[in-house]
Amino acid sequence: MTNPYVPLLFFLAIGGGFAIFSVAIAPLTGPKRYNRAKMDAYECGIQPSPQAEGGGRVPIKYFLTAMLFIIFDVESVFLYPFAVAFGGLGLFALVEMVLFILTVFVAYAYVWRRGGLDWD
Amino acid sequence: MTGTAEAVTFWILGSLSVLSALGLLFARKAVHAALGVAFTMAILGIFYIGQGAPFLGVVQMFVYSGAVMMLFLFVVMLIGVDSSDSLVETLKGQRWLTLLLSLGLGALLIGMIGRITVTGTPNLNAINASPGNISAMAEVIFGKYVWVFEITSALLITAALGAMVLAHRERMGEKPNQREWARRRFQRGEFVSGLPAPGVYARHNAVDTPALLPDGTPTELSVSRTLQARDQVARPGLFSAAEHDPHQEIEEGSAR
Amino acid sequence: MTTLLPTAFTVAEINYWAILPVLIVFGGALIGVLVDAFAPRSSRHSIQVALALLTIAASFGALVWKAVDNKGATLDGAMIIDGPALFMQGSVLLLSFLSVLLMAEKFSSAGADAFTPMGAAVPGSPLEAAATRAGWGTSEVFPLALFSVAGMMIFPAAGDLLVMFVALEVLSLPLYLLTGLARRRRLLSQEAALKYFLLGSFSSAFFLFGSALLFGYAGSVKFSALSQAITTAPADVEGLLLPGVLLVLVGLLFKVGAVPFHQWTPDVYQGAPSPITGFMAACTKLAAFGAILRLAYTGIDADRWDWRMGVAAIAALTMIVGSVLSVTQTDIKRLLAYSSVAHAGFILVGVLAFDATGVSGVMFYVLAYGLATIAAFGIVALVREGSAEASHIAQWSGLGKRHPVVAGIFALLLLTFAGIPLTSGFTAKFAAFAPAIAHGGTTLAVLVVIGVLCSLVTAFVYVRVIVLMYFSEAQGEVRALNPSVLTTVGLAVAVILTVALGVFPAPVLDLANQASQFIR
Repeated sequence: MTNPYVPLLFFLAIGGGFAIFSVAIAPLTGPKRYNRAKMDAYECGIQPSPQAEGGGRVPIKYFLTAMLFIIFDVESVFLYPFAVAFGGLGLFALVEMVLFILTVFVAYAYVWRRGGLDWD
Repeated sequence: MTGTAEAVTFWILGSLSVLSALGLLFARKAVHAALGVAFTMAILGIFYIGQGAPFLGVVQMFVYSGAVMMLFLFVVMLIGVDSSDSLVETLKGQRWLTLLLSLGLGALLIGMIGRITVTGTPNLNAINASPGNISAMAEVIFGKYVWVFEITSALLITAALGAMVLAHRERMGEKPNQREWARRRFQRGEFVSGLPAPGVYARHNAVDTPALLPDGTPTELSVSRTLQARDQVARPGLFSAAEHDPHQEIEEGSAR
Repeated sequence: MTTLLPTAFTVAEINYWAILPVLIVFGGALIGVLVDAFAPRSSRHSIQVALALLTIAASFGALVWKAVDNKGATLDGAMIIDGPALFMQGSVLLLSFLSVLLMAEKFSSAGADAFTPMGAAVPGSPLEAAATRAGWGTSEVFPLALFSVAGMMIFPAAGDLLVMFVALEVLSLPLYLLTGLARRRRLLSQEAALKYFLLGSFSSAFFLFGSALLFGYAGSVKFSALSQAITTAPADVEGLLLPGVLLVLVGLLFKVGAVPFHQWTPDVYQGAPSPITGFMAACTKLAAFGAILRLAYTGIDADRWDWRMGVAAIAALTMIVGSVLSVTQTDIKRLLAYSSVAHAGFILVGVLAFDATGVSGVMFYVLAYGLATIAAFGIVALVREGSAEASHIAQWSGLGKRHPVVAGIFALLLLTFAGIPLTSGFTAKFAAFAPAIAHGGTTLAVLVVIGVLCSLVTAFVYVRVIVLMYFSEAQGEVRALNPSVLTTVGLAVAVILTVALGVFPAPVLDLANQASQFIR
């Protein structure tokens, strides 16, 4: 019997090895010729500033998005076992799940109508 | 029984998780500390799967590493904590008191829980074999805990309402559309054809490169007000300096 | 040990009539969220108020009409609809109905007067001023309050630790939010919300940890299984029982504001909008004592000799700290907060009686206290200097001469809190203390003595406020606003019921006695 961990380990070793190899080989083999333009931001990128405004705070709008993401993330945690075991659960579980999703979508409708999804 | 492969996985991932957990303690930037926690959580998820609890493992990845830690990161970024913040304790002796109380609680819990005796090796094999790990979970969620499951939705709605009420500034009035903007420009009679676009140079074109007027001076109208306020407008000279002085360029290169 | 997992999937038996009151409140809250999403801004306030009142009334109707005849465990024991649960649910509905009436008060504002026009605006910013001018309001408070009510209805009826925990969160989360939405003194309100949230999550974590230990002990989260496990005493996991019980109790005692878990109370009571403070003080205390009764009488009663002394000590501390600190308060809302801490201690004495009469005494007490509290915070919201609430006690001096009715009602409520005979406070204290003496032995007799002494201390505090209102000169421009019809009705009902419970307590006492039997 093959231990189920063996392929996992192989995968880990190959993946890690490839990543380390790729990163390590570039500075060893690549030509190094200095040009000031190489230090610039790429064509249409703006110059990075040394210190972001307000100590690097991000606007509160991102928080709203993160919060909404978590709400639907938690919803999908319930969807996962439901989907796996659906065959054995029957109509009752389907009804309960639909009720749950509808309830959460009430929140979604509220956020959408109140402009929580607009970015302006 | 612990097989060789399991032991190897444990030692590799275990040491990684301890390292990243130490990162939480010793990282100087709060964001790095949060990332360390996220990494530890992810490794814990792998351990759960290895122990025969795939549901727990997936949820650990999904909710902890995916969602909760991201929220943590957001909060850290929102309040902009960095190493310049003072770490001096405001309440004197609080650290020692905390240590004392924590040790006391630890001793109490260890003392009480240490009295427990466990017979045999507990494992999930029986449950994983007959209904299956995730199916068994589904059966309790939609069976005896269906009420808990349904009222959890109230928590999610409350969270959405709360995020909106506390963090969402609704627009006062309609957002002006293109038509409205055009109307306003014509009414005022200035910038009738719109504001000038940012400058396009041979080596660079970005929102921070100002357009040049016929006499060669940059015009501020072509760059967003936000960038001006942050003093992030690029100087046009920056992109032509190399052509003016190729010798300096060569010197700088060989100095590296 | 019961098996953790069923062998084949079985659908839980659901008695829909028994849980109909809760389902109605949930439905009303959901419709409220949809109203906020789709109704035009100008009509939101009126629709929400009407919807909330209708929902609570309908739920009460369903409770009286159907749920009382459908007692028993349902949802596989997740909900236990028995006498105490029904009494608590009915009381929560009554008290929250009155609270919603007070929350709806607009005075001259376009939206509800107590709540900020835009919670997300920076306090004092031009955006906030613009939102006030535009007549915006936070109509979300009504669906949030309904969600909280639903949680409060599940809390005392929970049949297992898991439902109890989720109910605790369902009732708490909206309260954290509502605390932070005061229209005036926004920073204080936001600070209060943050403190409440942090300490509340902390106590929830205690509850959860304790539940995990008890689950490990009994192999089930059900109270019936826990009670059974204690009597059969599985020796190998015995070490899990006491820490589990204590941690779960910490989580619950936090909610009632018992010392040393009371630190949030004064700040939150002061910072929250006054109608919310009333709602929170009355309904949360009621629901949390319902849950404590459920846990103490049906879950961990067999083990009570291990933890009873600890809770008795907490009760004594709560009474002493609450009443002594109320002497030093200069803010009327903080004074009422410390008085609520002291009352939590008095009620705990009744809980420790471990007799059906103790259950009915506690239930009567929380109802009587809730009615008086909602009315008291309703009055606090009326007394203003400028547009802000005159919350400093010195500002209340001479109120009796300017506004005899308002001051008279407030004096009556203070006397009720003090427990002067012929007020509901006296009857309630008697109902809670008598079973403690009859069934509690020396420990509880000592507690009752402490309780009576502390009542005297608090009586001194209340009488001082009354003297200030009637026998000192008025200063400043303090006046009482004229409430709208809804508020007047809410206040009047609360005051009349408070008086009625003092003068003719017999019907409600009888009802509480009939409803004092737990179903395990």
